[in-house]
Amino acid sequence: MSRSRQITYSQALTELEKIVSEIESEEIDVDAVAEKVKRAAFLITLCRSRLKDTGEEVKKVLAGMEEKTEGGETMIEDLGLD
Amino acid sequence: MDELKDELIAAKKTYTLYELNNLIKAEIADAFPAAYWITAEIAEAKCNQRGHCYLDLVEKEDDRTIAQIKATIWAYEYRRLAYRFEAATGETLKRGMKILFLASVGFHEVYGLSLNVRDIDPTYTMGEMARRKREVIERLTREGIMDLNKRLSLPLVPQRVAVVSSPTAAGYGDFANQLDNNPYGYSFVRLLFPALMQGQVAENSIISALEEIRRKRRLFDVAVIIRGGGSVVDLNCFDGYPLASHIAKFPLPVITGIGHEKDDTVVDLVAHTRMKTPTAVAEFLISGVRGFDERIMELRNRLVTFSEQMLKDETHRLHSLGQRLRFLPVRLRAAVENRLLVLESGLSASVWRLMQKEENRLHRIEQAVRLLDPQNVLKRGYSITRRKGKVLRDASSVRRGDVLETTLHSGSITSVVARKGDNAEDEQKQTDNLLPGFD
Repeated sequence: MSRSRQITYSQALTELEKIVSEIESEEIDVDAVAEKVKRAAFLITLCRSRLKDTGEEVKKVLAGMEEKTEGGETMIEDLGLD
Repeated sequence: MDELKDELIAAKKTYTLYELNNLIKAEIADAFPAAYWITAEIAEAKCNQRGHCYLDLVEKEDDRTIAQIKATIWAYEYRRLAYRFEAATGETLKRGMKILFLASVGFHEVYGLSLNVRDIDPTYTMGEMARRKREVIERLTREGIMDLNKRLSLPLVPQRVAVVSSPTAAGYGDFANQLDNNPYGYSFVRLLFPALMQGQVAENSIISALEEIRRKRRLFDVAVIIRGGGSVVDLNCFDGYPLASHIAKFPLPVITGIGHEKDDTVVDLVAHTRMKTPTAVAEFLISGVRGFDERIMELRNRLVTFSEQMLKDETHRLHSLGQRLRFLPVRLRAAVENRLLVLESGLSASVWRLMQKEENRLHRIEQAVRLLDPQNVLKRGYSITRRKGKVLRDASSVRRGDVLETTLHSGSITSVVARKGDNAEDEQKQTDNLLPGFD
């Protein structure tokens, strides 16, 4: 979980594109393909599951933020006076 | 001097204030008999419960007020005028707005001088608004920030959305609903930063909400400004310079869904992406996520297709290798057999040669043997002499009277020894002479 967190969508996409083009260009041997396909499958699953579940971590952050935002309403007013 | 003064005082006519004000009223009515088209800026506009509208009108020169007057639009006029004005301009009469209006000049004994507005020409205001909007756009362009927000690239996956809206707006509900119930089951993180979306305070309220988002920008992919379900008027809070420049310089792409069919507001122009309605904004975000998903799926399909193809190729290769292997024993055997045949023929040849050689040798031996055969020797005239069955080689033991048996080539003779010579040596020599050829 913590490891997957560190991968951004764009990193995952870049890596996936690299793997697919590598395999398609037949630059790697059959033994390495198995390893690459496994990695690709992992990345695909990771991306797709994150599209459908934004994750507890983000929700927690946002829950914390919402409290802050409520407390921060005064700040909005403060700014309005500027 | 004093006389004159006294005269005046003696002749003085005094008026009550009411009389005076009536005089002024009459004078003004005489002096300004018609109604006049006047341009002025609204400094303040207020309506009371009865529906009358009271305006403070000013004219400014470099922000300095050079003229000011009160004006009234009576309720029965106001309703008609306001409707027409709003329909044309999309705005209500409010502070800061420039208007062209038809008014008569009136003086009231209690309320003093004021203008009585009979008509308003909305085209003038529209022109003014357009001019101001143009000025704002020109300023933004001059400052080089008009396209600043547009230059930000949209996030790969616009999944975390900061929303600026009024929490009670129908448009916000539509937006949230659309996003949360998207048909693909994508999960969005959306957080509302409430703001007033209408009226005088709207601009500052929206700016404050944006400031709040800016502070937490790392948590979001896009900012969305939506409004809708409310009145179609009061959009000119989206035409002001402060909000527009804020949006232009905003660190996240800003997507608008202000919900109007009119010309784009300045905010729409500077925003990264302009959508007509909040629902359309939600659709846009969903399509963004969908786009990413499709790219991933496309890569997945390519991977699957290629892997399958490769597997097929490998299987095929294995199969053909298997085929070759299956025929290998047969071929191997054939090869071995062939080799054996070759060896065999080579072998038989050498055996034959060997045999031939042996045969020759045997032949030669046979000939030699044949030469040595006693019969052949006898044939050539030699004879064998035996005494009592024993072959005689030496005449020394032979005595007179011994019976000797001589074997010739054909037949034999039995004889008695009459005399004995001693030429054994010659005999020996002759025997030796026979030996050559006996190898």
